[in-house]
Amino acid sequence: MGDPHRVLVLEDDLDTAAQLVDCLRTSGYTVDLAYDGDKGLALGRRADYVVMTVDRMLPRVDGIEVIQRLRKEGIVTPTLIISALGEVDDRVRGLRAGGDDYLVKPFAFAELLARVDALARRSATGSRTTVLRVGDLEMDLLTRTAHRNARQLELSPKEFQLLEYLVRHAGQVVPRAMLLQHVWDLHFDPMTNVIDVYVGRLRRKVDSSGAYPLIHTVRGVGFCLRAPG
Amino acid sequence: MLLAKTLRSSTFKLAVICVAVFSAAVFALLGYVYWATTNYVRSRCDRDISADRALLVQAYRNAGRGELVALINQRIALQSFEPGIYLLVDPSMARLAGTLTSWPGGLRGVQGWVDFTAPDAAGHTQLRATYETLPDGSHLLVGRSLDDLDPFVGIVKTALAGGATLTLVLAAFAAVSITRRTVGRIEAINGTTRAIMHSGLGQRIPLRGTKDEWDQLAENLNAMLDRIEELMREIRHVSDNVAHDLRTPLTRLRGRLEKAYHDELDPERSRALVADTMRELDAVLGMFSSLLRIARIEALDPRGTLAVVDLDRVVGEVAELFGAVAEERGGRVKFESRGTVLVNGDRDLLFDAISNLVDNAITHGGGDVQVTVHDTDEGPMISVADRGPGIPFEERKDVLKRFYRLERSRSSQGNGLGLSLVAAVTQLHGARLELQDNGPGLNIRLRFDRRS
Repeated sequence: MGDPHRVLVLEDDLDTAAQLVDCLRTSGYTVDLAYDGDKGLALGRRADYVVMTVDRMLPRVDGIEVIQRLRKEGIVTPTLIISALGEVDDRVRGLRAGGDDYLVKPFAFAELLARVDALARRSATGSRTTVLRVGDLEMDLLTRTAHRNARQLELSPKEFQLLEYLVRHAGQVVPRAMLLQHVWDLHFDPMTNVIDVYVGRLRRKVDSSGAYPLIHTVRGVGFCLRAPG
Repeated sequence: MLLAKTLRSSTFKLAVICVAVFSAAVFALLGYVYWATTNYVRSRCDRDISADRALLVQAYRNAGRGELVALINQRIALQSFEPGIYLLVDPSMARLAGTLTSWPGGLRGVQGWVDFTAPDAAGHTQLRATYETLPDGSHLLVGRSLDDLDPFVGIVKTALAGGATLTLVLAAFAAVSITRRTVGRIEAINGTTRAIMHSGLGQRIPLRGTKDEWDQLAENLNAMLDRIEELMREIRHVSDNVAHDLRTPLTRLRGRLEKAYHDELDPERSRALVADTMRELDAVLGMFSSLLRIARIEALDPRGTLAVVDLDRVVGEVAELFGAVAEERGGRVKFESRGTVLVNGDRDLLFDAISNLVDNAITHGGGDVQVTVHDTDEGPMISVADRGPGIPFEERKDVLKRFYRLERSRSSQGNGLGLSLVAAVTQLHGARLELQDNGPGLNIRLRFDRRS
């Protein structure tokens, strides 16, 4: 993995590109920008990016093809595909080509940032521990039990899975769609606020017995689990 | 016009090829019959001549030339029914006996066969004979007239030629009439197609009521036209609704922005205004996504999309997920299942569709929802039942259409696309969607075909 703050953006729409670059720079990333597939390929080969975002449809060389070619050359830079084509089969095609995540236009910049952050930190997470701890919350992955302040939490298997995902990404903003993708294995955006309600119920169970709240809602994006201080 | 079309048509070309192949076979057969017949007749004639000759030569060997002459004369006298040709000449070519007056000119050699033309005593002219030089130097010729053979061969020839001609004529007639018939039917279909392109989808291809493959083709094309017409109507309906449903929130947005432009706003109010605007825009975008999603689902090919899915698991997960929503409204989602029920399906789409049903049931049905997965005798079934006000019988078909909303729920949240999505997913799965009274409430059932 290269420079931990260097991101490559492939986007042909000038306005969107400027907004993307602005959004990423504000969050402390160094951004390189390419407006077409050829330039994107050339830059992507340098391989010292922590993440790259690729628009699905690019002039000259299609976004999917850029990813395929880079992957074939052994470049594994985590890639976020951004596309106006939102349907499941497009996602699947994109992910199969070597993309690591998929974001549909139009999107909230907070969500884009959350996903880029998640990809950038991916290599750092995923340890083999059997007990996860955040503040006074403790999760035993073998017995599938969770305790807060030594008091056991009554969680359904899905709730446990959801909490585990949030704990594994503690401190990061996790967008709703990412939860759906990783906890429920769903690849579409729900039309209702069911996830908020579900997380709300989990929050009541987790935070009612704690000294401080752990699960926070990030307006318009998703959720974040973090201990104070 | 029709003739020109007939000659150009591919059916005609095919027919011509068939006629050619068939005729070649017939000609080959007739040719063989002719050849075999004449050959047979000639070889019989040759056999007769050989037998006759052998007898005469035998007599000559046994008793000498005098006896031979006597025998020839005897045979000439007897042969009222079998006209033989005989001639015996001495070494100086002077006639000793026979039906010919002189040895045919140019006929030399010790022995051989010959076809020749010469008038004999009985008036025959086409003759075939075998000749040889006897040990004493005299020459013997034994033969038969071919004149009787010719009319027979002639009859065979005429019969064969007639047969061949008849074959050709009939085949040509058949080719043309079959082609005309085909071209005529295709022309009817083409005519209707052109009329549809020019004037609209109202026309249908006329049926002949013969139930043959042409009628079936016409029926299928008509069914396809029905479906296209229905889709066109639906698209018109949808675009009207999109125009209406988009114009309303967009007008509201524009109005709000215009007012904000003219008003002096403090930072807090302007933030609130921007937040509201974003929320409404999200709703509009959401509606767009839903419409696109439904359109994409309707266009999916089931063969490439469906895999084995456990309904028990999918529905269970939906029930668990929406349990939280029901609890918030003071209700409960009761899930009942008796274990694994496998169908061919797409998990994401089924999850989405069932989510919509359960969500509707919670929103419109007051909170308590009964979700059941059954493996019935007729096949797997999902049932989502609520105790709410239900849907009036006459509106049950309409609620599946895009943007259709019951009068009483117009003011509540939703865009009227949920059940359209369910209908699209149902159709993709080849399942049946049933809306029934739950007395009170609504019971929606999804019935699947058993996996084959």
